[in-house]
Parts: sequence; C-alpha cells; structure tokens
Amino acid sequence: MASDYGLKVGDIARISASPGVTGDSVRIAAIFERRADPSEVARTELRVRLHLDQLQQLLGLDDRVDRFAVGVRAGADADSAVGRINHVAFGFRAHRSRDVAVGSSRTFRVVERFHRAIGIITIVASAVFLLCLLLLTVEERRRDIAALRLMGISRATVVRAVVIEATIVSLLGSGIGALIGWISSLLVNAHYQAVYRTPLTFALLTPGIFWFATSLSLALGIAAGALAAWRLVRTPPLALMGR
Amino acid sequence: MRFTLAFATLRRHPARTLLAILGIAVAAALLLDMVMLATGMSESFRSLLMTRGYQLRVSPKGTLPFDSEATIDGATGIVAALRASPDIKAVSPVLGATLSMPSEKMPTAFALGLERGVQGDYTVERGTDISDVDGNVIHAVVSRTFLERSGYDVGDTITIAAGIDAQLRTAARTRRAVLAGQARFIYVPNETPVIALALPALRAMLGSGFRDRMSLAMVESRANDSTKVEAVRAWIAQTQPRVTAISTDTAIRQVEERLSYFRQLAFVLGAISLGIGFLLVSTLVTLSVNERRGEIAVLRAIGTQRTGVLQQVLLEGLMLSGAGIIAGLGLGVITAQWLNTILRDFPGLPAAFNFFVWSPGAAWRSLALLLVSGSIAGLLPAWRAASTPVARALREEAVG
Repeated sequence: MASDYGLKVGDIARISASPGVTGDSVRIAAIFERRADPSEVARTELRVRLHLDQLQQLLGLDDRVDRFAVGVRAGADADSAVGRINHVAFGFRAHRSRDVAVGSSRTFRVVERFHRAIGIITIVASAVFLLCLLLLTVEERRRDIAALRLMGISRATVVRAVVIEATIVSLLGSGIGALIGWISSLLVNAHYQAVYRTPLTFALLTPGIFWFATSLSLALGIAAGALAAWRLVRTPPLALMGR
Repeated sequence: MRFTLAFATLRRHPARTLLAILGIAVAAALLLDMVMLATGMSESFRSLLMTRGYQLRVSPKGTLPFDSEATIDGATGIVAALRASPDIKAVSPVLGATLSMPSEKMPTAFALGLERGVQGDYTVERGTDISDVDGNVIHAVVSRTFLERSGYDVGDTITIAAGIDAQLRTAARTRRAVLAGQARFIYVPNETPVIALALPALRAMLGSGFRDRMSLAMVESRANDSTKVEAVRAWIAQTQPRVTAISTDTAIRQVEERLSYFRQLAFVLGAISLGIGFLLVSTLVTLSVNERRGEIAVLRAIGTQRTGVLQQVLLEGLMLSGAGIIAGLGLGVITAQWLNTILRDFPGLPAAFNFFVWSPGAAWRSLALLLVSGSIAGLLPAWRAASTPVARALREEAVG
C-alpha cells in the first residue's frame, strides 16, 4: 500500500468505513511488511493497522471484536481452558492456536499435496526417460562388449564396468540437475516474491531433497546399467558382432 | 510397405520400443494434464459465473464480490436505478451475513438474503423455495452441509438469531424458521453451512443498520455480446460512484492473477513434457538408425530413393509418438482426475469449481504438438540415414 500510493512514515491519510465518506485523518506511524504466511500469499488487499478503539469508532462497532487471543498461565492446560471457555461461551467459540494454525494453513497443505503428486508423475517420467537412455546407450555398445568378451574378459567384469560407468553418469547428471534445480529455485523465488509481494520462500533445495534425487537417480542408473549389461553379456559375442 | 518396414523395425526390439512408448505416454499425460490445468481454471470459473446468465457483478467500491465484509448502503435505490435501465434485463441483490444457530455442533451458519424471483445463487434439490415472511415464521432453504452438521431435516422448524451479546447472553433478534428446502449453492464452498432467506427477512434479522444494505448485486444485460455488456458495466461505474461493477472477463482475469502460479507451473511442466518427448524419440530413432546403417545402405544400393529412406525413418518416429500419445491420453485423463481431487480441497472454493477441465480443442492441439515434435525429432536421424554414403556404409558393415 505504501509503495502503491507513495505513502511514507509521517504522512497524513484519510480513511473511512464507506466509499465517498470523508472519514478520519490518520498519521502513518510505521510501515510494516507482510508476514511470510502461505494462507495470505494470493490475497492482494491493502492493509492498515489501527488501534482497536479507533477502528471500532471508525466502523461504528462500539464494543465489538472479531476475535480474542488468549494466553494461559504457565503450567495451565490450554485444552481445559478451551473447554471451560466454550462451556460458558454464548455467541462465540474458543479454539486452540494449533487448530487455528492447521485450518489457516490448509491452502498450503493442498499445494504441498499437489506438488507431491506432480513430483511423483515427474519422477515416473524421468525414471522412464533415464532407463530408456541408459538401456539404449549400453545397447549401442554391443560391438565393444562383444570385443571385450572375445578377448576373454569375464561377464562379471563387463557388467561391473558398465555399472560403474552408469553410476558415474548418474552422479554427474545428479550434480548438474542439482545445480539447475538450485538456480531454478533462485529464479522461482525472485519471480514469485515479486509477483505476490511476500518474503515467503516458494522453492527450497534442502539437503534432504538433494540426497533423495541423487539416490533415486543413482539407483535407477545402476539398475538400468546392470539390466542392459546383463542382457548383453548373456548374448553370444559373435551374435553381438552381427555374425 | 514403408509402414510394414517401420513396424517391423520397432518390433525387432520390443523392450526398447515399449519403454520408449511408456516414456512418451507419461510425457503426453503430463502435457495433457498441464494443458487441462492451464485452460481449466478459466473455463470452470467462466461457466460458474455464467450459470444463471448474469454477466456483471456489482460490489462495494474497490472490492471483489464477498472478498470482504463491506456492504453497499442505499441498495434499494441502486437496484431500482439499475432495473430502470432499458439495457438491463435482471438484477439480483444479495446480502451475506453470519447468523447464530441453536445447534451445539454448528453454532453459526452463513446466511444469504435473496429475492426469490431473480436469485441466481442456488438450485432447489428437495422441498420448496424460500418465501416472504409468513406471520412470524421464515421459510428458508439450506445446503446439504447445513443439514448434515446441524442434524435437522427439511420440514423442521429452528430458531435463528442475530446480534448476539456475549455479556448479557442474549440475542438482539431471534426468529423461527422453517427449513423449506435443501439446495445446491453455486458460489459457496461445500464445507460451508448455508441458509438462504428472503432478503427483507435477513435485513430485519440483522437490525436497522442493514435495513437498506446488500453485499452485491448480479446484473444481467439484455445484450449478450461483450461490447454491449462492457457498455452496461461502464454505465453502472459512471452512474453509481459507491460501487464497483465487474464483468465476467474482469472477474476471470482477477482470479487468474491470484492463481497465476498454477498457469505458470502448467506452462513450465508442459514445456518439459514436450522436451522429454522430443529427446526420447530423437535418441531412440538416432540409435536405431546407427544400428541399421548397413541395412539402410543395402536399401539404397538396391535402388531405394533417399526420400523413401527418409519417409521410413520419419514414420518410425511418428509411430512411436502416436502410440505413446494414445496411451498418454488415457493416463492423462486419470491423473487429471486425481490431481483435481487434490486441488478441490482448496478452502473457500465453490463446489462446482474444477482446476482440470477437458477442453477438446486445447487437448488435441497440445497432443498434436507432441506428435509434430516427435516427428521433427526423427527428422535429423532420418536425414542422416538418407545421406549415408552407400559404399562406405556397406564396407564398414562387412569389415565391422
């Protein structure tokens, strides 16, 4: 709001409860930044913080509030406090902060589930792609493998060599992928933080994600390499040569 | 003949071909899902807004409908002025508020005040519609969630209250309401218990401060084309300074801005799917061509034209892409339903809103793009195959 309307600390602005009404004059005492709250990320409304009594007066709401935040004494049980309040409440209900937090972060949890689902589809797609590529790459070297077998190199040695090669390729690919992912996360954060005007972090490359991606690609690489190599070493070398 | 040859080539390595088709199928499914996501939100929201034919929404100045608790004062005058316009066919004023209920399980419900003859907010599924105040009893229509949570049924009479004073433990106004019917509310989330009353009844419940207020009005223009609807919108904006009039297109644009993240995600993942499809086909066809250098050289040596070789290799890429796309179509529809179920859990969304909507035009265009991309992917290896120097290839094949 401050940047949209060129407001700064000390400026006088007029606010009212209804459009077209003169309202009250207020001096801007401070400018605050929106919290990194996922539930508010897509909301674009402008926000003003006032003293409670001044807002009540402006809205003509006398002695009304939307909600109270209640702190229990040290050692007191919050659940029993909620129960006691609700037992005597009339026209309102008490909720534990934990439940409110769960409710208000529902948007975030839905997005998280959606990301997880998209992640599963992407993992399946990349796994098939990786398997396909490694199988084809190994198959392309039929003649090399046939030559090695004809020279007397054992099947196990050939399989080990192919698996080591697949492992190195997978590790290198994971490293490059992690670098691309890290750069992408910087771009994604810069873009969406600007779009939604929030300090919220949208994409984060954590060590856990890095190790998961690397392990998965390593496992797929080794499996694909071993499978392809095993298929080739079981074929007679002359057949691999096309004879 | 070429088709048979291409088919035979693909059948020669069944595992490899199946894996490639599976890869393209997953890429096609992801692409289809992302196209459905990118176009579905707009389509779904448009059809939702146009359910009852109202093309314009009039809300308190500077707000979107029901985006805040702000209401419009002087509603009767504004509605009368709008109805007097020859360009306007119908106006439906709506007032939203929270009412207290006697149920322990459901202490409050979202209340809508509407005019029965013009309301465009719900469809009665069971029982009868709302009616004006009959003696001291209000006839209300409620949502399925309302009945489930409160434990009441159609035909029951309940007490509804407004103006709760927590200190005095009293309600300023209470009324008896007959639950006349159960309705499906178009714009209200499934999880929200809703009770709809006649507009004057709700205003009376809320007290003198709401005597002449509404939260929004839905306006139907006589003309349906966008230019004339926009002219009506501009006229409302000009003659009613206390309100904001927004058209369906503006509302869709604003919702799209809020949900732009999903469209951009759809674009990025769709582009990645196309890339994966392209790479898979090009890699597979390239390796296949490299393996068959000798075979292609023999074909050329016995008189097969370059264009013939080119067409056959291209056909291989096309067949791989085609088979993958057919498999991907089914896979994409299934995954779209799964993803839609996840996203429909978003709080505050109307029950009829969908993120993934099957739009035949967009879906076929995207799959055609993948098919073209797969065919182009086979172009370079096909050209290399057609340009193979016959003598050298035959010698290399013979010598090894």
